[in-house]
Amino acid sequence: MFLALSEMRRAKVRFGLLAGAVGLLVFLILFQQALLTGLVNQFIGALKNQSADVLVFNAQARKNLEGSIILPDQAAAIAAVEGVDVAAPLGEGTFTVLAGGEETDAVIFGYELGGPGAPTTLIEGRLPEVGGEAVASSRNAADGFDIGDTVTVVPNPGGTATTFTVVGLAREINYSVSPTLFTDFAGFETARRAVNPDATQVLPSVMAVRVVAGADPAEVADAITAAVEGTEGLTRQQAVDESPGVASVRQSFSVILLLFYLVVPLVTGLFFLIVTFQKAGALTLLRAIGSPAGPLVRSLLIQVVAVVLSGAVLATGLFWLASLGGGGGLGITVEPMPVITTTLVVLVLALLTSFAAVRRVLRIDPIAATTGAGVQV
Amino acid sequence: MSSSNPSDSSAPSGAAVLATAPALRLDGIRKVYGTGENAIVAVDHASLTVGGGEIVALLGPSGSGKTTLLSIAGGLLAATEGTVVVGGEDISGHSPRELTEFRRSKVGFVFQSVNLVPFLTAEENLLVVSELAGARGAARKQARTRAKELLAELGLSHRAGNLPAQLSGGERQRVAIGRALFNSPALVLFDEPTSALDTKIGEQVMELIQAEMRSRGTASVIVTHDTRMTHYADRTVRIVDGVLGLADAAGDVSGDH
Ligand SMILES: Nc1ncnc2c1ncn2[C@@H]1O[C@H](COP(=O)(O)OP(=O)(O)O)[C@@H](O)[C@H]1O
Ligand SMILES: [Mg+2]
Repeated sequence: MFLALSEMRRAKVRFGLLAGAVGLLVFLILFQQALLTGLVNQFIGALKNQSADVLVFNAQARKNLEGSIILPDQAAAIAAVEGVDVAAPLGEGTFTVLAGGEETDAVIFGYELGGPGAPTTLIEGRLPEVGGEAVASSRNAADGFDIGDTVTVVPNPGGTATTFTVVGLAREINYSVSPTLFTDFAGFETARRAVNPDATQVLPSVMAVRVVAGADPAEVADAITAAVEGTEGLTRQQAVDESPGVASVRQSFSVILLLFYLVVPLVTGLFFLIVTFQKAGALTLLRAIGSPAGPLVRSLLIQVVAVVLSGAVLATGLFWLASLGGGGGLGITVEPMPVITTTLVVLVLALLTSFAAVRRVLRIDPIAATTGAGVQV
Repeated sequence: MSSSNPSDSSAPSGAAVLATAPALRLDGIRKVYGTGENAIVAVDHASLTVGGGEIVALLGPSGSGKTTLLSIAGGLLAATEGTVVVGGEDISGHSPRELTEFRRSKVGFVFQSVNLVPFLTAEENLLVVSELAGARGAARKQARTRAKELLAELGLSHRAGNLPAQLSGGERQRVAIGRALFNSPALVLFDEPTSALDTKIGEQVMELIQAEMRSRGTASVIVTHDTRMTHYADRTVRIVDGVLGLADAAGDVSGDH
């Protein structure tokens, strides 16, 4: 403690710069992670924050909502699988809508009111109770999707315009990074007919399943896949994680994050190795006049911990400031868990890479003090 | 410079020598660096006894084996052959761990070059080893008091909070002496303590060393290649090519190398 703190006190700039660099890098990690969570939420928040335990896709859709339809006999078969309490249609589609006086793309989900598939993160207002009502993604409230606003699906020639009134706002229910509405299935049907007046039948994209009390959603999902030809049952979490867009976004981010996670410990490891070389004379002297190696190593590790923790504090501060700014509309929020985990991971990695410096300390031969060489590799 | 086998020279003429057990006894010390064709015999069958409180100057030209012998006496280097007894403790067979403990508690060192930790103040340089060895509570308090007293005694009270870089060469050497005396060793080993100082400051430092050793009754070996420094010692032992020469009375050394 004594040696570690004295040294840092007398070399404030040097250690301060390192802590600053670590802080910036940890901030970037936190920011990227939050950005990823935010992006993923914008891609598939609607799947994550709806009430169905299991979503049943068409097997050929490869877990993609846009390409999935469930045929009536499949729907009936799904409802009959053991462990299924309720199987309700869930429709999804992207439409050109008029909201806040402007045309924009929006995603509309149609679910069976009172059944599985309802948004679970309502923060204002209420869920739809009758046809023509909808819950909108809170992120887009200001763009003409606030409570009381009306959103009109722009029809194709021959179709009839249909209008929804926003009666509630829910957090993180976007899909495909678009403003999103949850309405009843009939509403979804009318929207479809507005753009495709010749459609004979509007089929659900997936079936939203509520499992019977006590049943394991993963088992029920597998049972559906096995029992109903041409379908693939996925738990809510699977539907989120295995969603094609999400997987590729996660992959690109994870490469960047991995690099950052490697850079931080490399920077600290190298710094402490250099510092250890620079003070080799002093360390040799201390060994020569009777200091055991243990306390010298401990003092090095104390410095690593001190630098990483100061960096983490700085990073959290920056992260918090960034979240106040809204992170460019990406809805970045400071949550304790990611901050704590990231700090711990970086700390462990930094301790591992400081092993080079530790080994250098352990290899000091006190006899070098008699020649003043000290700096021997 | 004569006989090649002065072996035991434990009958010093110095007035301050106490009749207690010898502070240092080197017996048949041989040190060979390297092996085979590259082997260098740095010290050859050296025997030397330093009485309690005795100040011995070890005089020899560069490369004669002075530092090697001093390092062996201080438990920094293992001899190839021979016995080293410091204050009654035979350290010849000590493990590295035991030697570390020995250096911390039984001897004091003043090295030729690096003697102070650059990022510690004068006072912290005195305290650092006891701190690293885990001094707590009362022991720690005692150590702080002792550091202050020692610095005062060395005329460095006003420099206690200064870093080595802020001290003059003479002051730095005084702090180094304080550090060597901190653990109250029975033996202090000085390796060319004045080589980096100009003559006047060098003499002041030698006077200080002499006074400090005398007042404490601490034995010391002072390595030097400068014959002008030998009169501060009770006795001078010459070393040439790793072989110890005859002991002369203080100040009587003639001839140089
Ligand atoms: N680590 C070492 N390896 C090989 N030879 C050494 C080593 N240290 C010292 N020597 C050799 O041993 C001899 C004595 O060296 P040293 O004890 O440093 O002499 P002095 O201190 O009197 O100048 C010299 O010839 C020197 O080159
Ligand atoms: Mg030497």
